[in-house]
Amino acid sequence: MESTLLQALFVAASVGIASGSIGAFVVLEHLALAGDALSHVALPGIALAIAYGIDPFFGALVFLVIASFVVWYLRTKTNLPTDALIGILFTASLAVGILTIPDYEIIESLFGGFPELPPLFLVFIVALATGFAFLTFLFAKQFAFRNISRELAQASGIGERYELLLLVLFAVVVALGIKLVGTLLMGALVIIPALVARNLTRSMRGYIVVSTVFGGLIAVFAVFVANIYHFLPGPTIVLFGIGCFAISLLFRKN
Amino acid sequence: MESNSDIVLRVENLSVSFDKETILDNISFAVNKNDAVAIIGPNGAGKTVLFRALLGLVPYRGSIVWESGVRIGYVPQKFSVHHEVPMTVKEFFLLQRRNFWYPDKETLNHLNHELALVGLSESILQRPIVELSGGQLQRILVAWAMLNHPDVLLFDEPTSGIDVGAEETIYHLIHKLQDERGVTILLISHDLNIIYRHVKRVICINKEMKCHGAPRDVLNPQDLASLYGEGAYYHHLEK
Repeated sequence: MESTLLQALFVAASVGIASGSIGAFVVLEHLALAGDALSHVALPGIALAIAYGIDPFFGALVFLVIASFVVWYLRTKTNLPTDALIGILFTASLAVGILTIPDYEIIESLFGGFPELPPLFLVFIVALATGFAFLTFLFAKQFAFRNISRELAQASGIGERYELLLLVLFAVVVALGIKLVGTLLMGALVIIPALVARNLTRSMRGYIVVSTVFGGLIAVFAVFVANIYHFLPGPTIVLFGIGCFAISLLFRKN
Repeated sequence: MESNSDIVLRVENLSVSFDKETILDNISFAVNKNDAVAIIGPNGAGKTVLFRALLGLVPYRGSIVWESGVRIGYVPQKFSVHHEVPMTVKEFFLLQRRNFWYPDKETLNHLNHELALVGLSESILQRPIVELSGGQLQRILVAWAMLNHPDVLLFDEPTSGIDVGAEETIYHLIHKLQDERGVTILLISHDLNIIYRHVKRVICINKEMKCHGAPRDVLNPQDLASLYGEGAYYHHLEK
């Protein structure tokens, strides 16, 4: 098996399970649209990283983590119309990114590609993504608690910091997936597995596990198909995921 | 005058404001162990905010002192779960336990015991929480609040949204909790009939403290008229 495909499969499997697990809560928190817009913030970070000769991943990571703090602050500390502000702020990021990223990097930044990573960097991405999926499972109880009742969670000592943690996990997972899936489409890899799982399960634990498994399966299978037909992996992942979602509707519980 | 060791909660000069609007003003009272205290007042009087302040959920001025190490259970007035949230009743209980993913046998036995207390069978554990009826959800919330064996139970309008039969059961249950477990109960209620029958002390608030004492002393036409406005209390008595 050629090494770029092998690399892509490793990244797809690890980023897929990380996206699936954190996506379960992104969807429950109704952050799907905000999250999609948030992923665009990566673009100015990528532009800046390229300008300074750093790997674009790090530029994207820094900008995404900062953006997750901004979203958390707007949601929990202000009465401002958060959705509209996030929409404006992050669409502006998209515009800045498009104008500042060199032409030859634009398509890859937006839609991803088959990554060609140094071995150490590959290990770093796979380990970080797997670790973050693990962290999501570790804090699943706290995330679920705040989702079902902020008041009861607060009274039990589970405070707003868990919402920040959820957003930061989400931001890092988006950054990890950008090389393969691209900034425009990474939001979809986070959301779709959770929507599939929602149709197939009635319990929280089942929902998180199924979303995680589908995140991995959708990404890996789509990378295989993309490799055979010489498609870009990002759009293939999204279309394959949407196909899974359509089929899952037939098996919808309740 | 009670000795300090009998007091489980002491509130002094408690005030709560949101955006410069005063919701509670200078409230002071104390609650003894194993008491059942009802908090009454018209809509918007700040009763739920008082509970939220007692739980530390809203910023306040003044002092709220709980007996040290006291465990508090809370049954909220409003509890609605979005229909898209997949969670079984069992998982809802497990949110309070250390092990959410692999609960041990002891935890599950404990759950069954608490369910029996509120008159529900263990078969309900596998049901999605969104599918429960209002009465079932109320009982689940009581069992949920009792899971960690609290010393004090804060109960916000136990009767809202429940048919009369279930209401009786909830109050029967409150009695049972008091008798069998010695739980101190703070109860927000609108229903004066229920208060006459089930509590020893009443605290009336409408932003500020209006009255407190035994129901038969406090629930007289003058005090009620001052609390609810002329004539309005009859509606409560007739309910």
